[in-house]
Amino acid sequence: MRAGRAAVGKIGRRRPVLLYAFLAASMLYLLVFIGLPIVYNLVMSVQEVELGNISDLVRPFVGLENYREAWEDPSFRTVLLNSALFVGANVVAQVGIGLALALFFAQRFPGAHVLRGLLLASWVLPALVVGALWKWIFATDYGVANYVLTRLHLISGAIHWLSDPTVSLTAVTIANIWFGTPFAMILVAAGLTSIPEEQYEAASLDGAGPLARLLHITLPSLWPTLVAVACLVTIYTMRAFDLIFAMTQGGPLDSSNVLPLLSYQLSFQRFHFGVGAAVGSFSFIIVLAVAVLYVRTLRRESEG
Amino acid sequence: MGGSTVLRRTFLASSAAAAGFSANVARAEPATVSLWHVFNLDTDMIYGGMKAFNESQSAYRIEPRLVPGVQIVTELIRAIATGSVPDLVTLDSPVVASFSAQGTLTDLTDQVVQSKFIKPDVYFKGPWASGQWRGKTYGIPRDANTLGLYYNADMFRAKGMDPDKPPRTWSELKAAAQKLRDPAKNVYGFGFCATQAEEGVFQWLPFLWQAGGSVDKLDQPEAAAALQYVTDMVQQGLASKDVINQSQYEVTNTFMAGNIAMSQGGPWELPRMSKQAKFEWRLAPLPVKDDKQIKADCLGGYDFVVPKGAGQVEGAFRFIEFMSNPKILNEGWKSGRIGPRTDVMVQDPLWPQAYATYRGEMSYARPRGPHPQWPDISRPMQTAIQQALTGAKSPADALREAAAKVDPILAKTPL
Repeated sequence: MRAGRAAVGKIGRRRPVLLYAFLAASMLYLLVFIGLPIVYNLVMSVQEVELGNISDLVRPFVGLENYREAWEDPSFRTVLLNSALFVGANVVAQVGIGLALALFFAQRFPGAHVLRGLLLASWVLPALVVGALWKWIFATDYGVANYVLTRLHLISGAIHWLSDPTVSLTAVTIANIWFGTPFAMILVAAGLTSIPEEQYEAASLDGAGPLARLLHITLPSLWPTLVAVACLVTIYTMRAFDLIFAMTQGGPLDSSNVLPLLSYQLSFQRFHFGVGAAVGSFSFIIVLAVAVLYVRTLRRESEG
Repeated sequence: MGGSTVLRRTFLASSAAAAGFSANVARAEPATVSLWHVFNLDTDMIYGGMKAFNESQSAYRIEPRLVPGVQIVTELIRAIATGSVPDLVTLDSPVVASFSAQGTLTDLTDQVVQSKFIKPDVYFKGPWASGQWRGKTYGIPRDANTLGLYYNADMFRAKGMDPDKPPRTWSELKAAAQKLRDPAKNVYGFGFCATQAEEGVFQWLPFLWQAGGSVDKLDQPEAAAALQYVTDMVQQGLASKDVINQSQYEVTNTFMAGNIAMSQGGPWELPRMSKQAKFEWRLAPLPVKDDKQIKADCLGGYDFVVPKGAGQVEGAFRFIEFMSNPKILNEGWKSGRIGPRTDVMVQDPLWPQAYATYRGEMSYARPRGPHPQWPDISRPMQTAIQQALTGAKSPADALREAAAKVDPILAKTPL
């Protein structure tokens, strides 16, 4: 790290103009493609926006009216809670299972690399396809999930995975965990390779068993990676939209609805663009907080 | 193939006469008319129509873009917001009023008055109304559809029922569903769509109207009876609990897979049905409620609209006229689209029994709206249907809640 920074310093002294050009280019990109949409969304969220004035720039200012309307909509509170549960469960499960899988595939057994690659296949599929697939799996009468669970005598009656409001959030959560875990696994696996092999060898010589090596070498060295992965999974899961759209459209009764889908429904199905933008702002604030945490973790990681 | 040649020749003559394009013949480069549509079956009349239109004259050329049905509204809003709109769009009819009332569509009233092909009085009332707002014309119906009762004739026979006598009333439908239900074989008696989406309302409104209810009287006993009926179907196990999460497409899949004996569905399913269903299927009109005997069905279909700011209004309208000719509209039935005009009657149609059923229903099918806030009216009904079907609320309570949301909207702008 220190050597790298010294090198940058040398180039910086020689060609400061070029470096500032790099900075300007990335700043410009951020401003135009990320800053503008965010500002546009914030502006819309304090305006009265309808189909008739959506192309105007000057629209009636309504203050926090859209936020109030969103907050007082009973489905918004359901959806906010859903989002928290959905994201929380996904982060814990994806990081946990991703870590377990990464450790498993780090063992040298025949075909480990190939199998790990194959596991990524699910992450490569489009979310809409994955949604359709899981909708099939969770079908009450002819779905695989109920068939297997009944055969194993784990359940007595059929579970209405997607049509029972008390179960549907669990169902879409399971599907999203399956969908996202390979990505978490690959990130953790990359982190694992950066732990020097000598540490394990030295520990083994000192008589440390597998559990001790995991607790005292792997996990401490991996901690910053795990935090970063958790942040990334949070951000990705906060955006989950197509998977749930394909599985339940947020129903029944908003029981599986999440913030981005609600924002879409308000804007593009019911034409309440201002309220939709306000809901979008809520998502944005949450994602921003996590993104800040992520950047700080990365910085600490590179400094440590 | 022979048919399309005849079609083309007819149009060469008719559109030349109607629109007087001879004045434009000298123009070398045809003007481009951009068209966004949602029709992904290559048998749809829009493909033959575009080809024939482009060949019939040299003033305009249609440049199509196929947009998936679920995205077209989003795409159109995006186009309106950025100010770069296409010249012509096909929109699902209940959503048209939202756009026309907000002034985002081109007023086509004058063009219609001058048109020789498009005469309001030859259109069925419902489809024509969907393009109207405050006495002006913003949309021209492209096609229409309603719902019918598909039933599995083989299953009827297997249960000792006469497939020539499909259920005609609510009580007969329920009795048939009870007989046809076969849990051992994973067969439900009846299937319909009750999703938290516009489709769910589309499929429930026939029941509401058959019971004598209406959208502006959701807190009345008639509405409660309609919701009670479908709720009973689900709670007595005659229909799957999964109907609240099955799109119309999936309901039809389930029917074709032999897991539902009777299902409510539209004519657009016919091309699939005739290829994929491995049993004898038939179609009947929707039943009526025993004590009311009101025939009612819900109208669907697409309208042609010209967004405000379109560069080629004239060319777009010329194409709408072209597509509104009964000869083209007759072709629509090949992909299960009914002509929205009373002067369109397909001779010797494919699926004759289905055609007779749906075409017959057109005379009493009712539109949704038109109302600029139809999505806000539809949403509380979706919620009420799902509350009742999941048992979260009684049908009457759920509908009272819906009425409390719908009535203030209708008090401001009546249906």
